[in-house]
Amino acid sequence: MAQHNLSTVVTFEFFRTIGKKRFWAGTLAVPIIMAIVFGLLFASNSATDTAADAQKSAEFTISYTDASGLIPPEQAAVFGATTAASAEDGVAAVRSGRTDAFFDFPADPATNAVKVYGADQGLFENNKYSAVAQAMLTQAVNARIGSPELSALAGTDATIDMKTYHDGVESGGFNSAVPPLFFLVIFYGLIILLGGQMLSSTLEEKENRVTEMILTTLKPTTLISGKVLALFAIGLLQMVIFTSPVVIGYLFFREQINIPDLDLSALVFEPAPMITGFLILVGGFALFTNTLVAIGAVMPTVKEAGNYMAVMIALIFIPFYAVSLIFSNPQALIVQVFTYFPFSAPVTALLRNGLGSLGVVEAAIVIAILYIGAVLMFFLAVRLFQYGSISYASKVNIKTALSSGRRLPAATGTTAR
Amino acid sequence: MSEALVHIDQFRMDFGDRTVIRDLSFDVGRGETFGFLGSNGSGKTTTIRALLGIYQPTAGILHIDGRPFRPEDGGRLGYLPEERGLYKKEKVIDVMTYFGRLKGLDRNAAKTWSLEYLERVALADKAGAQLDKLSGGQQQKVQLGVTIMNDPELLILDEPTKGFDPVNRRLLMDIIDGQKAKGATVVMVTHQMEEVERLCDRVILLKNGTAEAYGTIDEVQNQFGGRIIRVKHSGPIPASPRYTVTVNETNYSELSIGDDADEADILRELVASGVAVRSFATTKISLEEIFIRVYGDQNRAGAETYEMAEA
Repeated sequence: MAQHNLSTVVTFEFFRTIGKKRFWAGTLAVPIIMAIVFGLLFASNSATDTAADAQKSAEFTISYTDASGLIPPEQAAVFGATTAASAEDGVAAVRSGRTDAFFDFPADPATNAVKVYGADQGLFENNKYSAVAQAMLTQAVNARIGSPELSALAGTDATIDMKTYHDGVESGGFNSAVPPLFFLVIFYGLIILLGGQMLSSTLEEKENRVTEMILTTLKPTTLISGKVLALFAIGLLQMVIFTSPVVIGYLFFREQINIPDLDLSALVFEPAPMITGFLILVGGFALFTNTLVAIGAVMPTVKEAGNYMAVMIALIFIPFYAVSLIFSNPQALIVQVFTYFPFSAPVTALLRNGLGSLGVVEAAIVIAILYIGAVLMFFLAVRLFQYGSISYASKVNIKTALSSGRRLPAATGTTAR
Repeated sequence: MSEALVHIDQFRMDFGDRTVIRDLSFDVGRGETFGFLGSNGSGKTTTIRALLGIYQPTAGILHIDGRPFRPEDGGRLGYLPEERGLYKKEKVIDVMTYFGRLKGLDRNAAKTWSLEYLERVALADKAGAQLDKLSGGQQQKVQLGVTIMNDPELLILDEPTKGFDPVNRRLLMDIIDGQKAKGATVVMVTHQMEEVERLCDRVILLKNGTAEAYGTIDEVQNQFGGRIIRVKHSGPIPASPRYTVTVNETNYSELSIGDDADEADILRELVASGVAVRSFATTKISLEEIFIRVYGDQNRAGAETYEMAEA
């Protein structure tokens, strides 16, 4: 019967949530906004290409002076540039509209700026003057170096392939840090999107005066378990919906929307951080869910419970105040506090787990804290719901609820003397 | 009384330092209709909640069918609480099916039962409507349907007619009668004394957490004087050990008499003492009069306290 009722509660809670227009409006808003952004990106990229092509083919008259002596006249002629008698003459020609642009190359372009003067064509169109001045200088320098390879090396950063070793085994580096950090993203998504629903899930019984009907057909433990499981299922559904546009965009429209070419095959899925990340995610989600459900059980209205919701949301962002220390000095006191304080632990530990600075013992302690905390919060939520949800109009006194007599086993009756 | 389905013995309930129920004991027989009466705040709802495990009693035994109530037994219970409501944002049929499932019916049976019930109470066209789109009376009907789903053995109705118009009150009473005919035991918490007199086999009157009266309606009426003589007269009614004057107006009085009193003797005594009797009739004391007699003091005390506070 209890099993049957648990599945009944999970099914009811799940389908009544996803059966609401409000749920789909909120859930689909994210992928729709992302699709719109991707569409705009696609359109913008096309427009940018067109503008760049137009800029390349754009011709305009140029005069220049070259105190450095780097630019030979024949090379300047390729750009349609002619020498000006002096900088003053060049500027005057631009001012009077006789030429479109004048470039004043200084004696030492490495330390002094090249001065560019041009007829105003608008904020973005004006960039073509500096682009051509840069191109004239670069080509002149390349010609002097005489080697395309050396020129390329001088103009760009060298590609560096780094390998690091941990206990004699090559570590995955950045590619191994990314997968465990997905759990952090999932954690944020779930709490931010589902937090309100967690909070209102037990308030609904109270606000609708359904509590007594429910408590005479269901154990509070079954009801709360059913609600938490339904929230897990709803969270999973939302995550699938939210990530779908990214996955579709990556698989089918990567070129069009300029998604960086992330080589998924290069990602390293190391078992230990992945398992640790998963356990922290589940423990953290359970702790937050049970806590919000417990808060809902003592509050008379959603409005009053909202203040506590803000506190819970703040707790998942607080670790970012110490983010630089989390990266650079994980043993710092504040990082340690955030790692072991139950409500900041999920974010801090997931971040450290991704960065590889969460030791095995530390991970075990954090996981234990989260799971024990989640279980305690679950029983607290059940207790508060059982004794608090009857207080329809007022906030429940937690002390009173906790100090109410214990339920004795059925065999001994309800006699409590 | 038949074998007890509900057994309450030496029940005490404290909220902090305040004792709201003191050593309350009573039984409800299987198949009977039991009236649970009392003024507001007398402890009726507290007793029901403790019986159903919603409150933890401070002391005492509260059993249904020989053991404390557990939610697992909810399929055999129909409970209409005083503070009532359902999931207002859900469809009528979904809520009814959900509760049917919780009471042990399978989905199809719960849905079929719900549709038949809605047809019976003229709400068939509202099956797909959201609950909060229904009127208060319509919502009450749905709530009652949820209560009697699965033909419960024990129906506990806390002020069942609250919010019902006379037509729907009649319908509600018919439904309760139907459940009684099927063998249900009914515990009714109500202030509607005519309903109690019509439906209940036995009653208990609760005042300040203790039983003021308990038994069949006849027994309770006897306990409060049993019979009343209504007299229209001229001249003052003299005091007498044969009766107690409960109402004394200019030309009308009510005399409470015991079971063994002889009305003819009393009439002779009145005439002999110079009272001009114009009419003289004997009736049983009504539950409403008993209720007023028991709780009138309470209200008067409340009113006096209020007046003192005002002064």
